[in-house]
Amino acid sequence: MRAGQTLRIARWETLRSVGSVDRRTTIALVAVLVFVAGLVPVLLTTTPTPGAGLYRVGVDASSPYAAVIQEDPELQAVDPDLPLEPGSMDVRVVGTAVYVPDTEKGRAAAGALREAIITHNDAVMTQEDDQAAAFPVSVTLRYLPQAAPDIAGVGTGTDGTGPDTGAAGDGSDTGAAGTGGDGDGESGQPSAEPDGGTGAAGGPIPSAPIGGILGTTQTGTPSAIAPPFPLRSLLLAFLFLLPFNVVIQAYGSSVIAERINRRGEPLLVSPATRADIVIGKALPYFLGSIAITTVIAIGIGGGLLSIAAVAPIAALFMAATFVAGMLARSYKELTFVTVTISVTLTGYAFIPAVFAEVHPIAAISPLTLVVNDLQSVAVSPGEFVFATLPVTLAAAVLFSLGIGIYREEDMFTQRPLPQKAIDALAAPLRSRLHVGLWTALFIPFVLVLELFAVATLYILPVSLSIPVLLGVVALIEEVAKSVHVFAGFNRARFPRTVRTGLVLGVISGVGFFLAEKLLVITQLVGLPDLEIGQAAFAPEVLGVTPAVLLLAPLVLHTTTAAISAVGAQRSRIAYVMALGVASLVHLAYNLAVVMTLA
Amino acid sequence: MRSEKTIVLALLIQLFVAAFSSFLVVGLVSLYDPGSTQGTYSVEIAVSGNASDDLEAVVETGEAREAVVYPSRDDALSAFTNREVDAVLHGTVGPDGRIQVEAVAPEGDFRTTLIVVQVKETLSDLERERRDELAHRLDQRPLDPPPRPDANPYFGFTYTILVPMLAFLPAFISGSIASDSIAEELERGTLELLRVAPLSVPQIIDGKAIAMISIAPAQAALWLLFLELNGTAIANPLYVLLLVASLTAVLVVIGAALAIAIGVRREAQLLYSLLALGLFGASMLLPESPPNLVAKLAIGSPTSVTYLSVGALAVLGVVGYWAIRRFVATTPID
Repeated sequence: MRAGQTLRIARWETLRSVGSVDRRTTIALVAVLVFVAGLVPVLLTTTPTPGAGLYRVGVDASSPYAAVIQEDPELQAVDPDLPLEPGSMDVRVVGTAVYVPDTEKGRAAAGALREAIITHNDAVMTQEDDQAAAFPVSVTLRYLPQAAPDIAGVGTGTDGTGPDTGAAGDGSDTGAAGTGGDGDGESGQPSAEPDGGTGAAGGPIPSAPIGGILGTTQTGTPSAIAPPFPLRSLLLAFLFLLPFNVVIQAYGSSVIAERINRRGEPLLVSPATRADIVIGKALPYFLGSIAITTVIAIGIGGGLLSIAAVAPIAALFMAATFVAGMLARSYKELTFVTVTISVTLTGYAFIPAVFAEVHPIAAISPLTLVVNDLQSVAVSPGEFVFATLPVTLAAAVLFSLGIGIYREEDMFTQRPLPQKAIDALAAPLRSRLHVGLWTALFIPFVLVLELFAVATLYILPVSLSIPVLLGVVALIEEVAKSVHVFAGFNRARFPRTVRTGLVLGVISGVGFFLAEKLLVITQLVGLPDLEIGQAAFAPEVLGVTPAVLLLAPLVLHTTTAAISAVGAQRSRIAYVMALGVASLVHLAYNLAVVMTLA
Repeated sequence: MRSEKTIVLALLIQLFVAAFSSFLVVGLVSLYDPGSTQGTYSVEIAVSGNASDDLEAVVETGEAREAVVYPSRDDALSAFTNREVDAVLHGTVGPDGRIQVEAVAPEGDFRTTLIVVQVKETLSDLERERRDELAHRLDQRPLDPPPRPDANPYFGFTYTILVPMLAFLPAFISGSIASDSIAEELERGTLELLRVAPLSVPQIIDGKAIAMISIAPAQAALWLLFLELNGTAIANPLYVLLLVASLTAVLVVIGAALAIAIGVRREAQLLYSLLALGLFGASMLLPESPPNLVAKLAIGSPTSVTYLSVGALAVLGVVGYWAIRRFVATTPID
């Protein structure tokens, strides 16, 4: 791969996508952009509520609440003489008495009425001269870490557990002297004077414009307090990852456009290598993603750490889209696959980060790093590596797989998806040793999938989650060891003999065993502290002699891989059955290990 | 079914999203109304400072919270750090009668939102009480709010955010797919082959468009059915589906028109996305915006403006469809 050629292709890609648009379309694009940009300030000033006029309140003009009901957008004032039934009225007000029917909508309407009155009160109080009496309570809210809870089922860590994770235990004080911004949403609040220096560490923290939702310090009246959004990671996931959906739409279009009418053929013929072409074409979109990420990160008060944490996710989005673009047969198919990718990767990003209390699980997601960055909590290099390395490696492997089928036979044909996938897996297998190499390269995927499984199954009770997880882990690892072997046999890379099957199985098993030591990085964040983390990643490490420690997994991996490979060399059905057998053997091994040491 | 893997994949995606959606609903509802995640969890609040009597009294009036009084701020904070209490309220009465409260809540915890909601309610109640006590210093009396009803916190969110989202997403996607489908025919050159068949070009467009226009209300109907089965009553379902169908027709017409005019998928998609976004934003300025229409119809509070708007949108859809058929029939497409 040569940098000069890659950059030239990147430049062509940028110019082509910008320059190929004809004048009419450009004018249309600019017009629409101006229209959308012009809308934003209008919408911000008028702030339309989707819930306008939902609840019908029967009120007489003489009631003290009448003015409030007229003002509030959610409430519709109707004739009080109408019957109090679902078709005509939801709540009736007579004087200051509120009649609420026993329906869900009625109660919701009563709640909305109460909120409207409280908001009205606050607005009236801002007109008062004596502000100390009008707003007699001023509050500064900060967030401080508490001691970690006693997690059930954990003994002491048997081997040297990793450094204490920065997310909770370091006791770094996040609150600063109350210069936090007011919570958003309440109009016309006076900003109370900041609480006189409550002696916390550090200087003033710049207030995040999104008020208290992201859990930063707030100062103001009680009404202005915005409780933090509990699923902060979900919010961050939407913020950062939604723009990626747009980018991968454009990138996916570009990838598949090369395949229509053999348009990509001239580049294939040129001296540029396949890697040059693919990386060159991906570069402008990747840089665009980083630029968007930077803007968003600065907008919410993050820094370099946030950008560095989100960049690998961007790379994985693009890598997955690239493979999707190489496999899809039409734009429609690409859209479906792209949506699957977005949903899955977004899920991977935010689900683990939900478990903020159980820090090792949360450390799986790069978004936890962003959360830490926003709260100015220190992040250890181990944590950073743990969150970003699997994602980065997975992206790299996906790009390699895609580059493998970046050739005429696969690009310009309409082969069905599974066939192309098998092509992609078989393409790099130029010799038997390559089988072992690629098993090792699949480890990041194995890690990513297993982490996802841990995070998803964590919520189940331990008695159920551990066996299920062991089964899932066994299946994932067996597939990773054997699927490319099957592909190789299927595409006649290797002779279909039992002996070849056994040899390939052994090589694959050894490759897996060696690369598995990568899993030691889970130690960096204390994942083995959790019972479920132990089960997934280090059942062997628990107090066994070094010889057994080395030999047992090696024997396991080679045996099970050999079983699958022998099945693979016969036929697809045989492969599936052999895979099942191998997974069961692996599961039995895992269970035996866990039982012995429990 | 086995050979049509695209459909299978589409169904799986929808199932996946549906499985996620309950998770998302909890998350999004929490954004909308943070107190909704309360159960029988009782929040223990440490109270200190010279206003602790007032604070303690107010805390105890709430059912989901309890007060523990500490003699000093440091005692309260160390109790907090040792996880003996969930929050700290340190209140100091100033010379002007104003109470300065320093509140501390746990950081980065799932419980944090529950705790902060209780803190907020406590302090709001305290504010109301103090306003009463200091009423002699105020020109106007604030209104007494009615007691807090036992309302379902998901209620508003379901009808104003969830139902419109489920209704409109299929419409947007339909328009996008229609644009894709036509743009691809033009790019691959297969439109020529289609035109050789005993079909006129308007009929080709018909085939593509009608498929897309009918799918969206069908999906929306399924979602509404699921919601009904889940206990969320949807009123006026037929009007909602009419609204969805009309909106889909408009979007499909826009998507198809862009694809025909531009002829290249990438630019057509980009323009479609931007235009759809812009029009949606602009529609929010209407007296009753489309999400509001869906909300009002589904919750059972439609007004005459609601029915008129739905009718207008239906007319717009029909007119748009007729327009694009005429355009396609009279203009040659290369």
